[in-house]
Amino acid sequence: MGEVILGMPGQWAHDYREKADHYTSKIGGLPDWPDLDIPVSGKLLLCDLCGGKLCLMAQIYAPLSMAERSIDERVIYVLGCMKKDCGSNPQSWRVLRLQRCKQDIESKDEPLKAEQPEEESTSVAEDKPTSQSSSVKVCDDEDSDSDIDLDDLAQALEQAATLASNSKKQDGTKHTRKIVEGPVAKKLIYDLTTPVLPCFYIYSQRNSSEGRMDKANFVGGSSISLKEIEKSSGNESEGESWEGEAYEYDKALGADRTYLKFKKQLDAYPEQCFRYSYGGNALFPVANVPKPGACKICGSARRFELQLMPPLLYFLQEASDDSSNFSIDGWTWLTIIIFTCPKNCCSGTCDEKSGNSCRCIVEEEAIVIQDD
Amino acid sequence: MAERGGFGRGFGGRGDGEGGRGGRGRGGGRGDRRGGRRGNKSEEEKWVPVTKLGRLVKSGNITSLEQIYLHSLPVKEHQIVDALTKDLKDEVMKITPVQKQTRAGQRTRFKAFVVVGDGNGHVGLGVKCAKEVATAIRGAIILAKLSVIPVRRGYWGNKIGLPHTVPCKVTGKCGSVTVRMVPAPRGAGIVAARVPKKVLQFAGIEDVFTSSRGSTKILGNFVKATFDCLMKTYGFLTPDFWMETRFSNSPYQQYTDLLSKQATKAILPPTEEIPPVEV
Repeated sequence: MGEVILGMPGQWAHDYREKADHYTSKIGGLPDWPDLDIPVSGKLLLCDLCGGKLCLMAQIYAPLSMAERSIDERVIYVLGCMKKDCGSNPQSWRVLRLQRCKQDIESKDEPLKAEQPEEESTSVAEDKPTSQSSSVKVCDDEDSDSDIDLDDLAQALEQAATLASNSKKQDGTKHTRKIVEGPVAKKLIYDLTTPVLPCFYIYSQRNSSEGRMDKANFVGGSSISLKEIEKSSGNESEGESWEGEAYEYDKALGADRTYLKFKKQLDAYPEQCFRYSYGGNALFPVANVPKPGACKICGSARRFELQLMPPLLYFLQEASDDSSNFSIDGWTWLTIIIFTCPKNCCSGTCDEKSGNSCRCIVEEEAIVIQDD
Repeated sequence: MAERGGFGRGFGGRGDGEGGRGGRGRGGGRGDRRGGRRGNKSEEEKWVPVTKLGRLVKSGNITSLEQIYLHSLPVKEHQIVDALTKDLKDEVMKITPVQKQTRAGQRTRFKAFVVVGDGNGHVGLGVKCAKEVATAIRGAIILAKLSVIPVRRGYWGNKIGLPHTVPCKVTGKCGSVTVRMVPAPRGAGIVAARVPKKVLQFAGIEDVFTSSRGSTKILGNFVKATFDCLMKTYGFLTPDFWMETRFSNSPYQQYTDLLSKQATKAILPPTEEIPPVEV
């Protein structure tokens, strides 16, 4: 059905609290909410079990193109609780799908001018490139400006690249500001109450065929060569024979067949952080997985969209060695499988609003498979 | 399908832009261990652990296989065994074709039997079927490493020198084949058929008498029965084990508890040398 797209780890963020836009896919850090009519309600950001704040595990930009409509502004946020007891309980995980229901090019500029919640006031500066080419050149001239220091030049260039791929054409004259504010370095969100995971960005890669797997499976040089095998098979004597063998499924002392298949896919791309396959099949590490429920709004059965993979935990753990504010050790999941509504339904009455696009947040379902 | 998940599409251009800039050495701020993570072609050498046990082994918190055996933790990554054992040798015992009748003729696959061991108390057996010989051998080596077990050795009589034989009479069974191992005096050597002798050599047993029964012509079952017999050596309760066990924390609890990182060593009891009964 769908092909699988892997999320491979990219660059680390310079500061874990730095702000990107909601078109970026990243792990950790603080969630980048796009301009919203209604800010995200506090209840959705709290853990069900302990009531503490959830931290962002993954933010994935996942636009869709379907026959009837295409949803370009669709982001999936995976939030988890870092307290020790909540970490292993699947109820502490929350998946939010945020999408803009109608495509409206002109009105995009308007929300940018509207009232923003505190946190997002800094994002306004970044969402407005003056023009794509000039922002890059302007950087070089503003070396002496206090807002930009040399260190952030590269960041600014990257920021410009991000904004450049935003295909909507901006009206430069409408939002003329001082040029210096256009490609400013990534601002930090000064929200120190929310726990934050180490942040790195994701680039996507297609899952290629099995040519990869043979290479990856070979573990540094065994002492066996094919010639030796042929020699040893010539030693058949004394009436011994290896007859009566039949096909046997893979089995090891600690691992069963399903897990070995899971591991085989992982070994092809050992650094994959998540697998994305809209409507495709999930890779289960155990045989019995609970079925997903139905969407709360439209009632249709949820469908697989993406799953988070264990290398992600390893990277986060590596990075979190410096500080001991949070315990990632409490997380022992093998994979987190995220199911979303196949109809991409939207809560509320957004069909009645005309001319104005509305964004809505819907809570989706995540199934956590533990590593026991 | 009319619908298409657009994650890759929506992301492709952006991702390449950011990915391409990743190699510019900008991220050297927080320690170079993260610098070269991406874009490596040497992914075969770099192991990214998948399980919690793998993460503990990679970070060096677990230093020997015995800690894993003590708590009967399932080993799900062969790199764990690689990291914890030195000079683990492997050998292919047999590659045999296995056939299946289909409408279009016969489909032949190859079944590889591989035994790994360090000659000093650790041995593993792996069996893998695959369409190609090389794939079968590679897969069998990995499965063998996943199945590495400890082998208990003891004395026949005087307790002089190092243990050299099985501690007691043990028997293992697979299919119709039963293999019985009996302690032997020093210098007796491994008295067994050619096929199980190899497994016993890899296990590090120097002297043993064996006796087998059943259809040992089926060498697959024969070698598995020997392996099963070796698994039982640590499952046999001898008077040495009569003393009450002092239980210690499993590595999962030891290293999960934040407090234990800062606390004194008093919380951690001394490690025991006696691995537990079989899995």
